[in-house]
Amino acid sequence: MTGGAWLCLLAPLAGTILILLGGSWLPRVAAAWIATTSCFVAFGGAVWAFFSLRSQEGHHGEITTAWTWLQSGSFKVGLELLVDPLSAMMMLIVSGVGGLIVLYSIGYMDGDDEERRYFAYIAFFVFSMLLLVEGGNLLMLLVGWGLVGLSSYLLIGFWHERPSAVRAAKKAFVMNAFGDATMALAFFILITHTNSLSFGALDAHLSSTQANLVALGLLGGAVAKSAQIPLQTWLPDAMEGPTPVSALIHAATMVTAGVYLIARTHAIFEQARTIELIAAGTGALTLVVAGLIALVQTDIKRVIAYSTMSQIGYMFLGAGVGGYANGMFHLMTHAFFKALLFMGAGLAIHALAGEQDIRNMRGLGRVMPFTKWCFLAGALALVGVPPFAGFFSKDPIIASTLNIGWYGYIFYACGIAGAFLTGLYTFRLWFLVFPGEPSAFVREHYHDHHGREGAWTMLVPVGVLGVLATVGGWIQWPPLWTPITHWLAPVAPTLAVAEVSSTQEYVTSAVTVLVGVAGIALAWAVYSERRLAVPAAPFWRRLFENKFYFDWLYDRVFYTPSAWLATALRREFEEPVVLQTGPDLGDSTLATGSLVRRIQTGLLRTYVLFLAAGAAGVVLAFLIAK
Amino acid sequence: MLGPDTAWYLVVAAFLFGMGALGVLIRRNTLIVLLSLELMLNAGNLALIALSRHWHNGAGQIFALTVMAIAASEVCVGLGLVVALNRRELSLDVDTLSELRG
Amino acid sequence: MSGLVVASAGNVLVWMVWVVAAFSCLASGVAVVTFENPFYSALALIGNLASLAVMYLLLSAEFVAAAQVLVYAGAVVVMFLFVIAYVGPRRETPWSGGPGWQTICAVAAAGALLVEIVVAVGMQASGSLSHESEVGASFGTPAWIGRVFLVDHLLAFEITSVVLLIAAVGGVILGSHTKRAA
Repeated sequence: MTGGAWLCLLAPLAGTILILLGGSWLPRVAAAWIATTSCFVAFGGAVWAFFSLRSQEGHHGEITTAWTWLQSGSFKVGLELLVDPLSAMMMLIVSGVGGLIVLYSIGYMDGDDEERRYFAYIAFFVFSMLLLVEGGNLLMLLVGWGLVGLSSYLLIGFWHERPSAVRAAKKAFVMNAFGDATMALAFFILITHTNSLSFGALDAHLSSTQANLVALGLLGGAVAKSAQIPLQTWLPDAMEGPTPVSALIHAATMVTAGVYLIARTHAIFEQARTIELIAAGTGALTLVVAGLIALVQTDIKRVIAYSTMSQIGYMFLGAGVGGYANGMFHLMTHAFFKALLFMGAGLAIHALAGEQDIRNMRGLGRVMPFTKWCFLAGALALVGVPPFAGFFSKDPIIASTLNIGWYGYIFYACGIAGAFLTGLYTFRLWFLVFPGEPSAFVREHYHDHHGREGAWTMLVPVGVLGVLATVGGWIQWPPLWTPITHWLAPVAPTLAVAEVSSTQEYVTSAVTVLVGVAGIALAWAVYSERRLAVPAAPFWRRLFENKFYFDWLYDRVFYTPSAWLATALRREFEEPVVLQTGPDLGDSTLATGSLVRRIQTGLLRTYVLFLAAGAAGVVLAFLIAK
Repeated sequence: MLGPDTAWYLVVAAFLFGMGALGVLIRRNTLIVLLSLELMLNAGNLALIALSRHWHNGAGQIFALTVMAIAASEVCVGLGLVVALNRRELSLDVDTLSELRG
Repeated sequence: MSGLVVASAGNVLVWMVWVVAAFSCLASGVAVVTFENPFYSALALIGNLASLAVMYLLLSAEFVAAAQVLVYAGAVVVMFLFVIAYVGPRRETPWSGGPGWQTICAVAAAGALLVEIVVAVGMQASGSLSHESEVGASFGTPAWIGRVFLVDHLLAFEITSVVLLIAAVGGVILGSHTKRAA
């Protein structure tokens, strides 16, 4: 079992190192295949670990320690990997979907000048994400957390000649750093009171203030990493990176790390139930707001990005009320269909030579049927139409809010509204892009790849994920069969308040599906058949287009004062004081030198005078000594 | 010993030495400087002889003879320098010969 | 410092000779340093050397006195006079203008040295000058010098001869004509 874990973790790292060592001698294709193979080897390791775990009694998992990494008095932290049901599930998702996406990148990034750098980075990302989910204690998790933030920064800013990409990368990193800081503070409290950072430390009984603070710190990290309100503004900008990056990091894996964190540290959150409910509320709020903003986006990737934000809101909602298995299941299905949607969008973008504006893309389905059907599968899965994957995972989350109190009803309403919005914006996208006659733009710019819609390395993963988006949900259908919930029970048991009766489940599912279909119908009416016009509503339109003014606010509150302060400091302190030190030292040395130089008069008489004076001094000394 | 004590001789030697030092330090003509140097050497000789007599040690007189030989050699070389300077039509003023100025 | 001993006739004579010699020694020393014309300074040096020779005689150093007159006054000063004549008239005005800082410092340094030596001597160098030894009649005679030089201080003798050789060679080199650049 632990062999599988080590293999899974180290294979992508080996891939990165190989590519780095190969440098420019390594052919680009070789670098690409090294990265892809290492991810699939990791998947093999994950499968091995999974099956070993399954054969273990009680599925409690195993910790393997490489060595003691940090020791300070009685506080010890080891380089530990953990294989338990939760981490095994994540390992499979990360390495499986990751492997498919890296394969897709071979076709997508073909011909780019810096392909090797890309594959080195992406293999490094897979390694970092696996470290995050396999970490056997909180410190290893934090290491992985930080490394995925780094990989994200490197990959968003991959095309570093574009200033917008560089800005987006910085924004993502800084906002993530805020989350890292709150997590670190939470860890400090844990160390102070429990003298340990192992996962078992989370079971320790902390006072209510401490538990709340720890949970709040962890939540801060989760919110930053998963782009929930109020730290969500970096995610749409992160679309500046290549599409496979958006698929892997900003849809399937990194942004879901927040949900994983809550599931992993649920013991603390249950001690700080208020914070956990705040997490749920954040999720509920985000899912509605993101859905609204997605309605007015015109960039194909940004629609999908806001959709991601919204779906992660669902995951937070599910985990926040106590249904960790629900949240994790939705994480899994979301990985399937969201990666599919991004990769399908990537196919379209590639075929149209980089165009991303959906207003130009009408009728693309006529020339790209494969993409059209796969995209449709992903869209239906996203909306939650049975039998596609999203139906099975989304509805239990919404249903689980019914028993927790009056606010549960608000969450429920948000969930239903979100389902409607999801149907609306997703099919707005689909209807605008795929069906109908090809637009002039499409006719002019579309070019295929040797008779096919794209390279086989791009089509195969899309196809595989299309299948998974269709059937991947069949693994669990609460309340009828729930293998995932049982699988995760030893590690993250669902709270009792999150359990709902079968009636509630069925009713919720029906309502959600109806509402989702209503959204699809509305989208069809407005965008496809043009029966209804888009309502004017200028206030709302402006609000959504400006992303609820979050960016505007943050710019005024954080960026402008900091920039002013930095400029002022440089002008008043750094330039006159710090930077002057060098030249001042040089000048003073020179001045001293010129002073001393005056002894060298060149006159014989002066030198003899020094002799005589010295002799007089020596004799005086002798006299005094006597 | 007849006459003044050794101390008197030593005082005379000290005065001579002081005069010679002043000459070296104040005068600018190279030749005068060399002459003052001779004065200092002779002062040393006088002290040596006086103390040799005082302690009945022959080494003092021997050393004085050696000093005389050395002084002669030094004058030889020094005057050779003066001659060379003169031949190159350089000034004999010690203050002008200041190429070692830093 | 023990004062005048028994005023015997011999003692008085020696004292008088000493006073004259010492006085002329110091006066000629001042003359060497202060004359403007180097020729006159060299002549004053002769006087200085002569008075020193007299004082050597008073100190039972006959051979050294003779050597002083022969070597110093006879050879060294003559060399000086030759070069002074060769170099020609050089007018220097050392005492014009006020004393510069170098002069003041020089006077101070030399004066300090002088005072220190006098003080040291005055304090009888903590006892070193207390006992005078009696010397025999052969002390300072050429035979005695010769024996001491060649037996006790042979190394000094040899080294001195080497130094003289080197000086002679150096003098020749310095005085030779340089190759003039074309």
